[in-house]
Amino acid sequence: MLTWPKPGSHGKSACHFCDTLHDAIALKEGSAARCTRCDAVIYQNRPASLVRASAFSLTALILMVLTHLFPFLTMDVASLSRDLTLMGAANALIEADAPILGTSIILFTIVAPIILAGGILYVCSPLMFGKSPPIARHIAKWIYRTEPWNMVEVFILGVLVSLLKLAKVSEVQFDFGFWAFFGVMLCTAAAIAGIDRGELWDRLEVAEK
Amino acid sequence: MKASFIKAAEKGLASCHTCGKVSDVNLVDCPRCSSHLYLRKPHSIIRSIALMAAAAALYIPSHILPILTVTEFGQVTHNTIISGMISFWDTGAYPIAIVIFTASILIPFLKIGALSWLCAAATGKVNPSPSTLGKVYWLTELLGRWSMVDIFVVGILVSIVQLGNYMTIIPGPGALAFAAVVVLTMLAAMQFDPRLLWDRLDHINNDSPSSTELPNDS
Repeated sequence: MLTWPKPGSHGKSACHFCDTLHDAIALKEGSAARCTRCDAVIYQNRPASLVRASAFSLTALILMVLTHLFPFLTMDVASLSRDLTLMGAANALIEADAPILGTSIILFTIVAPIILAGGILYVCSPLMFGKSPPIARHIAKWIYRTEPWNMVEVFILGVLVSLLKLAKVSEVQFDFGFWAFFGVMLCTAAAIAGIDRGELWDRLEVAEK
Repeated sequence: MKASFIKAAEKGLASCHTCGKVSDVNLVDCPRCSSHLYLRKPHSIIRSIALMAAAAALYIPSHILPILTVTEFGQVTHNTIISGMISFWDTGAYPIAIVIFTASILIPFLKIGALSWLCAAATGKVNPSPSTLGKVYWLTELLGRWSMVDIFVVGILVSIVQLGNYMTIIPGPGALAFAAVVVLTMLAAMQFDPRLLWDRLDHINNDSPSSTELPNDS
């Protein structure tokens, strides 16, 4: 149903690795166009792209709410009960005179996934009905500007490493927040991979006309 | 071999950095997303080198200064990234020691090395094949973020280990230096333009100078 790029549009596409110019031919759903010179993927036609990107980003946003409501880890030491949340970790650093590190945790693990998932949902869900929402271009720019700074999966690894460090101190349990954040990781990745950058911009351009 | 491949820049076409649309570079701004159009990222190599030099300078203090200060029963110990890794190794947690070694010591080091090599190749100091270099570039972009794991571990430990008189953990100055290394190497990798490597290759293969002179800011 969603063939892309539109057959007969005679668009051009340049490889972002080696700048070789290609005719942007239409692809079947699920296939990718590779550069004839350096074999890098130039663009892809992701299956059911708008629907999948919207669905996964919505799920990621719901799970993000849950990660802030439930702790990641809980630990009981000598009648003291401690737990870990994203904001808790950021706050602890800010209070311990490391405001830059605390802010970087907020930016990389809270703000970046919100911009990504929220942005994709905001742009892609109206596009399913052929409409472009207000300031969609600015939002789309911010999605791709934010993408490399999204470090949800790195934080997950950080939790696992900390768990092993903490095992020396006390018994530590995974809590629901960790699994919700694990879901955020999977859904955000699926949302970004769900739609090709070029396709998103092409559909935006068509909808705005 | 070269003749069959035509580059967008040779036709005066620029693919937009933001949205990927190919348009005439003389339009100045992309007609689709209004980002500024460039044939190549401006001052790519010099910016990459500057950011990398800053990262390399901070790499040393980030490993010498403590990233964590642990106070256990009033006794203070300073932990560096390397001492943390060694303590994991000594307790037999080999996989986690290897993860920390890779993420905190090897990746930043390799990233700085790989980017220097790429910048050297793009300016013609060394001449390996661009497809190998392309893979190196792709890998450095992919792996860079994982070094941040140590900073997150610091945040997590500082937050959860506040156990009054028993044990407290506070972040050390090494953590800030290390976070700066990670961010600077990521910025350096983003500034680097892999298309310069292929420009270089075409320049070597072409005895006659290229008809369109590409901006070269070595």
